[in-house]
Amino acid sequence: MSSMASPLSGIHLPSAASAAGTKSSPATVFTPVTQRSLLSPTRSLISKRTIRLMAVYSAPTSPEGISDKVSESIKKAEETCEGDPKSGECAAAWDEVEELSAAASHARDRAKSNSDPLENYCKDNPETKECRTYED
Amino acid sequence: METIENIESSAPCLNSTLHFCISDTRDKRRRGEQKQNQISSFSLSSSINKPLKMAVCTAYTSPSLHSPYPISNSSKSHHHFILSTSCRSNRRRVRGEISCSSETNTVVIGLAADSGCGKSTFMRRLTSVFGGAAEPPKGGNPDSNTLISDTTTVICLDDYHSLDRTGRKEKGVTALDPRANDFDLMYQQVKALKEGKAVEKPIYNHVSGLLDPPELIKPPKILVIEGLHPMYDARVRDLLDFSIYLDISNEVKFAWKIQRDMAERGHSLESIKASIEARKPDFDAYIDTQKQYADCVIEVLPTQLIPDDNEGKVLRVKLVMKEGVKYFSPVYLFDEGSTISWIPCGRKLTCSYPGINFFYGPDSYFDHEVSVLEMDGQFDRLDELIYVESHLSSLSTKFYGEVTQQMLKHSDFPGSNNGTGLFQTIVGLKIRDLFEQIITEKSATPAEVSKV
Repeated sequence: MSSMASPLSGIHLPSAASAAGTKSSPATVFTPVTQRSLLSPTRSLISKRTIRLMAVYSAPTSPEGISDKVSESIKKAEETCEGDPKSGECAAAWDEVEELSAAASHARDRAKSNSDPLENYCKDNPETKECRTYED
Repeated sequence: METIENIESSAPCLNSTLHFCISDTRDKRRRGEQKQNQISSFSLSSSINKPLKMAVCTAYTSPSLHSPYPISNSSKSHHHFILSTSCRSNRRRVRGEISCSSETNTVVIGLAADSGCGKSTFMRRLTSVFGGAAEPPKGGNPDSNTLISDTTTVICLDDYHSLDRTGRKEKGVTALDPRANDFDLMYQQVKALKEGKAVEKPIYNHVSGLLDPPELIKPPKILVIEGLHPMYDARVRDLLDFSIYLDISNEVKFAWKIQRDMAERGHSLESIKASIEARKPDFDAYIDTQKQYADCVIEVLPTQLIPDDNEGKVLRVKLVMKEGVKYFSPVYLFDEGSTISWIPCGRKLTCSYPGINFFYGPDSYFDHEVSVLEMDGQFDRLDELIYVESHLSSLSTKFYGEVTQQMLKHSDFPGSNNGTGLFQTIVGLKIRDLFEQIITEKSATPAEVSKV
């Protein structure tokens, strides 16, 4: 029953202790929990206004930005593999190319699906006048 | 009365039929002028929807995958009646909240596949069958890999990388290598979510290659863990209620990556090939081996309808379904357990070149008894899809034509005209069914007690 305490309360804020308690090794890599993630659990309970304030946090990386990284990584992979194409370093370098190519493809898809600003606005604000829809 | 039809068509959606109805309507038209009763129905439905969404606990109660559509069926002409019925069913759900703390188990689904093999498309189809689009968490890290809908949360297992990009480069290991992943943390967090506890999950940033500060993940009704290793670690594997492996043959993988990457600056046929080849040893050692554990495997192969075809446009897709999996009854063609080869194109249905071939039959897969359904070719017309759907059994649809409806709804997704889209949709329906059975079974006892 105690296990339910945090998700049920709805207004639970992850304390530094609970954040640290849930992880082992990678925890050391992270900076302390930021204000952004402190706010997120209360998201469903706070007003739309606040949500919009948070939404301006930043935009995802643009497809162009990732494209540069893709072509850079290909060059690096080709260089790395010149000496020993069977090495772990070579595999890791080409793995980076795959990872970035996939990220670039996702970014392109996202850019395509986010192309209508009105639809985007209405996703967050379906109750507003301009977002009402009616049948004949 | 198109509104009613919308409600009916939203039948497959989960607890928020009304919410779904709103977005469905919006797709139709946006206009300035409107009829009064429609305004009232609209605002009513949105006000119902809000408190529902806030009630965290609602998520765990009652077989809410059952939408109120059978009721709306019987009252085609009164949409006010439908809305009030929905109201009542919502209230019932809220009442169930009291007892829900004892039955909070999240259903966990695992989806394994290599990068660039259609996991994202599958996820979009899956969450669509569950009702409502899955979106990245609002207001969070814009590079978060998580998708959240009313019922489902999809987490990407790349978030459990223990080595970031620099770390992997230094050690000379790929992301496919278990040494680059923290299975202890993966296990702890998936277990916690399954038990109804929220977790602070790390975020692996695919653009920067760094681990970003964690994000809070609340336990959903359905948790999907997708990535390279959902079935690699035995502890994580045991947490899965159902697992799927997307098995893309080398030829098709190459063709898909050409489609994906050729437009990208710096890429060439050589670079695409080199990347696949360099990753292949690790892929074979750590990813491919997981398919033996999957309850369901979708194999994508080159077509046999066109001799020596290697364009990867026409595909032969196999749905391998394990027998004897609890809550999962494999789909079959005509007669369960028989071996059937079927060409639906002929006198009743004319198909365009190269036609469509179906196969169904029992088989064995890694010493497991399985049923295999195979489709070679593609749908060029709507009636082909409907015809095929009407000949398949045990689809777990809620109404006739639901598979076709889902396929049409996402006709812009890759694979909507072939076996990948068809089988992904079917697996989505089977998972919805599995979820409903689990929930019904869990709520059976408390429901008996609180029966009015």
